[in-house]
Amino acid sequence: MSVSEHHAGTDTSHEQAPESSEKTHFGFQQVDKNAKASMVAEVFQSVAAKYDIMNDVMSMGIHRLWKRFTIDCSGARAGHKVLDLAGGTGDLTAKFSRIVGDSGEVVLADINDAMLRVGRDKLRDKGIVSNVKYVQANAEALPFPDNSFDIITIAFGLRNVTDKDKALKSMYRVLKPGGRLLVLEFSKPTSDALNKVYDAYSFHLLPKIGELVAKDGDSYKYLAESIRMHPEQDVLKEMMQDAGFEQVTYHNLTGGIVALHRGFKF
Amino acid sequence: MLVGQLLSAGVELTLNQLLQLDPDCKPRLKKLAGKQLQVSINELPWSLLFIFSEQIDVSALPATNEDQSSEAQAESSADCHITLSLSTLGELSDSSKISQLIQQGKLDLDGDINVAQGFSNLMKELDIDWEEQLSKYTGDVVAHQTFSSVKAFFNTAQQEVEKLADQLSTHLTQPDAVAVSEIEVADFCDQVNTLRSASDRLEARIDQLIALQQDDS
Ligand SMILES: C[S@@+](CC[C@H](N)C(=O)[O-])C[C@H]1O[C@@H](n2cnc3c(N)ncnc32)[C@H](O)[C@@H]1O
Repeated sequence: MSVSEHHAGTDTSHEQAPESSEKTHFGFQQVDKNAKASMVAEVFQSVAAKYDIMNDVMSMGIHRLWKRFTIDCSGARAGHKVLDLAGGTGDLTAKFSRIVGDSGEVVLADINDAMLRVGRDKLRDKGIVSNVKYVQANAEALPFPDNSFDIITIAFGLRNVTDKDKALKSMYRVLKPGGRLLVLEFSKPTSDALNKVYDAYSFHLLPKIGELVAKDGDSYKYLAESIRMHPEQDVLKEMMQDAGFEQVTYHNLTGGIVALHRGFKF
Repeated sequence: MLVGQLLSAGVELTLNQLLQLDPDCKPRLKKLAGKQLQVSINELPWSLLFIFSEQIDVSALPATNEDQSSEAQAESSADCHITLSLSTLGELSDSSKISQLIQQGKLDLDGDINVAQGFSNLMKELDIDWEEQLSKYTGDVVAHQTFSSVKAFFNTAQQEVEKLADQLSTHLTQPDAVAVSEIEVADFCDQVNTLRSASDRLEARIDQLIALQQDDS
């Protein structure tokens, strides 16, 4: 079997470990920068097994359409090399694997090995094996050579990353010239009314659903808070431009609850 | 915005379920593996991209419009791109007609015609054993009986419809056919009644089968 597993080892670039004693946010709490990664890890460790079911329950299935939209905007074709970053349980990887075919390759990368394991088992059950690699990696310091990928996607992952600027730069580095990055992430609803409904949903209902289905209200409380702390559409666009991406555009989906940002490296 | 994705998801699901019902289509699908076929329908705001592997994935791409044409052009990676209007879609089921449609200007084909033909054949030659499919849910006997009833119904229905069509066309070709005679009306009503009782019989038969099945279980 050609499935291999790598671990984020020495990075080929000059990206270093985050400095200590700085503060960052974990949901609405302020935490030590070094602590965030492990706290995020804990969240996903605890939700991994029920992750797919929760996605369907929480978004009422719409997350499937958001992901389809992402793939439809990716321009993927046979022979492409795709990085599905923070790929978790591998929803995007499955489809990419069929599109790029035997001459292409998809790398499913995630910081969390519990999520990776769920992803690998799921893809194997679907018969998707030959052109997928599984790599445990931190988005902030990607363990790949420069100019490696035609397409990078990060779906509902960027908001969990401690140093987003650093992560975006790292993605830029491993992207091939002519390649594109697609960031699918929760964003800011475009209308006030929707914003209020959405607040009520995510802060009150969501943790309860999380408690009910996954017996884990806290993780879903974090989820709601992290969504609110994530940079809104235009801010993220600027961050991508600062990291070097060009022709950066975004599409609001479902009234801006989610946005898909796209940028190119030339 | 996501309507295109909903549509393509529906098409994808249907196609793959159909393919699964015919185990013999695998080799024909295999021939297409790695190919992409783009179908643009003039009336719709997206084109559909069919991506062939061991299954078919369907993407909805925003339709080309003038101001972004260059970007969208570069975007299309399909091996074959068909552009047509909704009214021509029905005629596509016969792949031998493709070149005729092109000549008539009803269809625009860019790229490898084999991909389009392969897809058309794949769908046309689907040989689905509906009786067997049904038997998975109902058991053999019930499936067989339901199937014969349904077949009988469609046969009757088809005969009646053909008769009607025949009469209608005679009417339309006769110059003084505007006035419909009473006898013809009566005849028409008779035919409708025949059709209705055929469908009533079918319904009764199905009810009976359902009852039978419930007794079984
Ligand atoms: C909400 S899940 C999204 C999974 C998948 N992309 C999807 O859309 O279903 C977020 C994922 O990001 C991963 N993650 C969090 N921080 C990360 C980091 N710094 N580098 C890589 N992955 C990270 C988590 O382990 C988790 O699997």
